[in-house]
Amino acid sequence: MAENTNPMLLRVNNLVKHFPIRRGFLKTNVGAVRAVDGVNFHIRERETLGLVGESGCGKTTTGRCIMRAIEPTSGEVLYTRSNGETINLPELERDDLKDLRKEIQMIFQDPYSSLNPRMTLLQIVGEPLTVTKVAHGREVEERVAQLLRIVGLRPEYMRRYPHAFSGGQRQRIGIARALALNPRFIVADEPVSALDVSIQAQVLNLLQDLQAEYGLTYLFVAHDLSVVRHISDRVAVMYVGKLVEMAATEELYYTPLHPYTEALMSSVPKPDPRATKRRIILEGEVANPANPPSGCYFHPRCRYCIDICKEEEPELLEYRPEHYAKCHRAEELSLRGVGG
Amino acid sequence: MADSADTRSDVVGGEEEQTIGVEEERLMVASQWSLMWLHFKRHKLAVAGAIVVGLMYFMAIFHGFIAPYERATRSEFIFMRPQPLVFNDGENFSLRPYVMGMDAAMDRATFTRTYTVNEDIRYPVKFLTRGDEYNFLGLFKTDVHLFGVDRPGTIFLLGTDELGRDLLSRSIYGGSISLSIGLVGVVFSFVLGALLGGVSGYYGGVTDTIIQRLIEFLISLPTIPLWMALSAAVPAGWSAIQVYFAITIILSLHGWCGLARIVRGKMLETSHEDFVMAAKLSGSSDWRIITRHLLPSFMSYLIVHMTLAIPGMILGETALSFLGLGLRPPVVSWGVLLQQATNIRTVATYPWIMYPGLFVILTVLAFNFMGDGLRDAADPYKV
Repeated sequence: MAENTNPMLLRVNNLVKHFPIRRGFLKTNVGAVRAVDGVNFHIRERETLGLVGESGCGKTTTGRCIMRAIEPTSGEVLYTRSNGETINLPELERDDLKDLRKEIQMIFQDPYSSLNPRMTLLQIVGEPLTVTKVAHGREVEERVAQLLRIVGLRPEYMRRYPHAFSGGQRQRIGIARALALNPRFIVADEPVSALDVSIQAQVLNLLQDLQAEYGLTYLFVAHDLSVVRHISDRVAVMYVGKLVEMAATEELYYTPLHPYTEALMSSVPKPDPRATKRRIILEGEVANPANPPSGCYFHPRCRYCIDICKEEEPELLEYRPEHYAKCHRAEELSLRGVGG
Repeated sequence: MADSADTRSDVVGGEEEQTIGVEEERLMVASQWSLMWLHFKRHKLAVAGAIVVGLMYFMAIFHGFIAPYERATRSEFIFMRPQPLVFNDGENFSLRPYVMGMDAAMDRATFTRTYTVNEDIRYPVKFLTRGDEYNFLGLFKTDVHLFGVDRPGTIFLLGTDELGRDLLSRSIYGGSISLSIGLVGVVFSFVLGALLGGVSGYYGGVTDTIIQRLIEFLISLPTIPLWMALSAAVPAGWSAIQVYFAITIILSLHGWCGLARIVRGKMLETSHEDFVMAAKLSGSSDWRIITRHLLPSFMSYLIVHMTLAIPGMILGETALSFLGLGLRPPVVSWGVLLQQATNIRTVATYPWIMYPGLFVILTVLAFNFMGDGLRDAADPYKV
């Protein structure tokens, strides 16, 4: 894959989100779930970064913190606007944030709960236009018709309610809403995981077409490795609130540097029925983000664990160009990728 | 762009496009309320309930016109059994029914009045006839009634009470009080419940805890003693209208708790829906989110809850008045009317004084059937 030298769009530094655990009658703070625990990554313009990990590892929370849908506990999210100005999203005031909503939008996982069943398509897709006062009256209608056409739905549908549409069509409606304000950056939170496989491909292709046409940048949150491989330029792997590896898609899939990535890759189904199965079955449970283990969070389940892993937390380092890993033994191990 | 858009439409066309009929198209553009109505219509019992409720309220509104007598009009016929309407006199059938004349006599031995039917005197029922003067909807005085008979004939279809007053007329007048107490009480509880429940659900934290503990405390109080204590505190010198409002407030003091819990729960539930987050991310204000997204999504539940709460209020008023703690004569409500039925000897001798109870039963049942159908229809998006 060609090296992407586009200007930086988003840089996330040490993003942290802790959810307090409150107990008892007085709701005293007895601890915190470290949903996102110091995440660093960057996305360049017109690029798709896939964010993968198993359920509960903090992928969605990361996406929502960037969107300021929930407030991050700490950390920086540096976003470069179209005029070149770089701003730190978590510090933005409410009014400035409203302005920025035009540039950053989100696509949701569940096409059923993400559309208000009591509104017509015109109201749903037109809502961003009306609340930001970008368009009025007839203009809204025209723009909605145009958006529906862009996502492959008929403009005549705009008087219908969401209950008249299938899952795939609903997801297209969600995409149309995200596109309404001409955003530059879209956080797609598992946009296809609730859809049938045949529909998944259509929605993925639509997303790719839109990216080519409008120069969009995606943060693509998913847990399906083949979906991520299909759409992403680079992939970041998360484990218990931390990023463990980040690299260009093919490099990560074929030559992973982190044992967790290796285990993930071994779980990708192979199309060849005669291929020998060498799945790595991870021992034990995913670490509890409210009470994570010492040292490297992955060490209790790691096949390559040595003493230092139990005591010292490794840094996320660039071991090869644009290939980051968070493992003490990244240099000495030679791990199997998808092919092996 | 036009080209690529077209090709995409084709893709979708292959995916799940199908030719649809006019009927289906109508469903697809159907709003929540029209979908609810479609569901509700299928529930026959609920529709019947709604019709009965409608008739009851119609009767309550036009009570002066529908009742043949004024609520306080006395007659010489004390505790007289209901006079039957006769359509067929044994020889020929007539569409205009008549009531037969009554002769009153005093039994010298027991000093009770006895009434005998005088089959020779017939009073045909007349419609839009003149009778007692009443105030039509508080607008003007008139004496036109829906039906009646010429004097000296009487038409006591449900019999009379201890002062010779027509029980049917009194039940109709009582209905206007009892039914409106249900409505007014529910409106009071709705305002209290929606406000406190909404605050509780929206702000959360300490406010939420305080309101929820308050509700738990109020719910844990036994209702009848609470009502008794409160209504005992209503000053004896208050006018009928003041007592009326005091009673509705007493009833709704308890009634808002359930509603507040529902509002809070629905508020918490819907504020975590993705579409609310989507609205937030598009830059919608809190006010817009509450009024356009949150409220509409649980308004139907609130209406159902209110429908089911009205019979509770009516029963509450009836119970209080029955115990002599609620409304007092000369105000007429179903509970006040039933108060006469507290005496077993009276009930045994003159069973028709229980008829106002039938109105209560009919209304409560009709409300419950209607509420049942509304509840089924309330969320047309769940299968």
